[in-house]
Amino acid sequence: MNQPKEIFVRIDRCMGCHSCEVACAVAHSAGQSLYAALSETPTPKPRLYVEWVAPDTAVPIVCRHCEDAPCMHACIAGAISRTPGGVVMTDKDKCIGCWTCVMVCPYGVIGRHLEEHKAYRCDRCPDREVPACVDACPVKSLVYQTATAFSRGKRRTASHELQSGQKG
Amino acid sequence: MESRRYVIVGGSAAGMAAAVAIRDHDPHGSVRVLSDEADAPYFRPLIPFVVSRKKSVADMFLRGRGPYRAQGIELSLGVRAERIDSPARRLVTDHGETIPYDRLLIATGSRPNIPAGISGLEHQGVFALRTLEDARQAARRAEETTRAVMLGGGLLNLKAAFALLERGIEVTLVVYSAEVLSQLMEPADALLIRRALDQAGLRILTGCSAGHILGGDRGVSGVVLDDGRELPCQMVCIGKGVRPNTEWLDAGAIKVDRGVVVDKHTHASIPDVYAAGDVAVTYDPITGAPIITGLWTNAVEMGRCAGANMAGYPSVYGGTFGVLNATQVARMPFVSMGIVHTAGTEYETWCRGSADAYRKLVFTPDGDRLVGALFVGDITNAGLYRLVIRERMQVGGMKRQLVDHRLHYGHLLCARDRG
Repeated sequence: MNQPKEIFVRIDRCMGCHSCEVACAVAHSAGQSLYAALSETPTPKPRLYVEWVAPDTAVPIVCRHCEDAPCMHACIAGAISRTPGGVVMTDKDKCIGCWTCVMVCPYGVIGRHLEEHKAYRCDRCPDREVPACVDACPVKSLVYQTATAFSRGKRRTASHELQSGQKG
Repeated sequence: MESRRYVIVGGSAAGMAAAVAIRDHDPHGSVRVLSDEADAPYFRPLIPFVVSRKKSVADMFLRGRGPYRAQGIELSLGVRAERIDSPARRLVTDHGETIPYDRLLIATGSRPNIPAGISGLEHQGVFALRTLEDARQAARRAEETTRAVMLGGGLLNLKAAFALLERGIEVTLVVYSAEVLSQLMEPADALLIRRALDQAGLRILTGCSAGHILGGDRGVSGVVLDDGRELPCQMVCIGKGVRPNTEWLDAGAIKVDRGVVVDKHTHASIPDVYAAGDVAVTYDPITGAPIITGLWTNAVEMGRCAGANMAGYPSVYGGTFGVLNATQVARMPFVSMGIVHTAGTEYETWCRGSADAYRKLVFTPDGDRLVGALFVGDITNAGLYRLVIRERMQVGGMKRQLVDHRLHYGHLLCARDRG
């Protein structure tokens, strides 16, 4: 089976520029451009969040599309399901705005459109090759890879570090 | 190995979640779900939308929606289980059928609690909204109703009240407690919600209860309160909590203490029999006290756990908070979870209020652990607070963020790395 790609976060690289948030909001706007997005109502909102932890760490927080997604099982309206590609998706038409998903998400990545009384969340940009947030990240803190490729990269980096440490 | 026969009594949240979980783990066994309702499984919390006519019944069925997409689950509707023949490992139904099982799940749920002291319950137009059929009937009754009286100030009744308000009906809520939602918050914590309810046009009478229901040929005509006041109406809804459906079980054979008693693997006291959902007794992970809840979300979680265990994948149910509610009424969202009733206790509580938001955070008396949280108006990141409560985390350096409602996942991540 083809392993789906996921969005991974390399926290050590994030410098907190919020480019991903802007790109995400624009990608989920009607006008699809920053200028058009600024004047839309409701204001297009990002579906990932760059938060700050004192003294010096920026943490991009993005929906993990959890394997055992608590939001999906908790939803009392059957509005949340998983696509064949592994993306956990909220069906806006079925959402009744009860916020049970918000109550159970341990990452805090489910947003609320107050005007529409609907929950929204990362959809991994189904119409794009690479999600907008990943595309926009100038330091490659966000990467879009399969879990296998991502962990291979991690191992490689670790072994390089180990090697150079031994030489030093 | 011969394929296992799984039998599930009850086709709502716990039963269907278990059926799907069994299918996930065991593609070969036979899964049969019995339901005493005539309707196929549906999302029970959606039934107020049938009353308000904002959703059609067809939009509420469970199968094919959300996580309920598994194939090969046999449904038997309109069938009631009569008894468990444990030595022979058979279930006997009211149709006279005996169904052999290898694993049995009791997921018979609960039914409305009808207070004993009220007379006149037999009149047409008296409802306790529980099933889809109840909702259909209430929706029809609403056509000839100009005034409705709701007995009970809990969440279910509030939702039903709003469904009727949306139908243009004048609604009076009769609440025995000092304030609405008394199970989910203390009166002082309910101020914002109460104001929103009042503004939405709901008439609320607190500190009183119904004595009897008046009626005649055309059904209900009014409610007489214990203080003698008479409220004319054509419809009455009773929302006084729920009781587990355990009557069909032989309490001599299976351990029942209000609900079916289970171990941490959701296994009941007789071999190969499990229980989950509203009918099962679970425990509160904060206090360790046994509890029965009537919550969809809990029932699903417990049902999934039972399903995994039944299919041979040991899985521990971590219990649940007695209070674990999120919703929005009268445009006011709120989340209440864990221990939120603190009057007369030693818990350390932090309350903050503004014109449009209120929060209360409850810590252990030593202030080290979060045990409860109530958010009204702004429920941002409520799930993180639930995690902090449930995992019994030492709040340490996060306390400021917790109290100020600024907690985000980055704090938990960094606390873990540093811890």
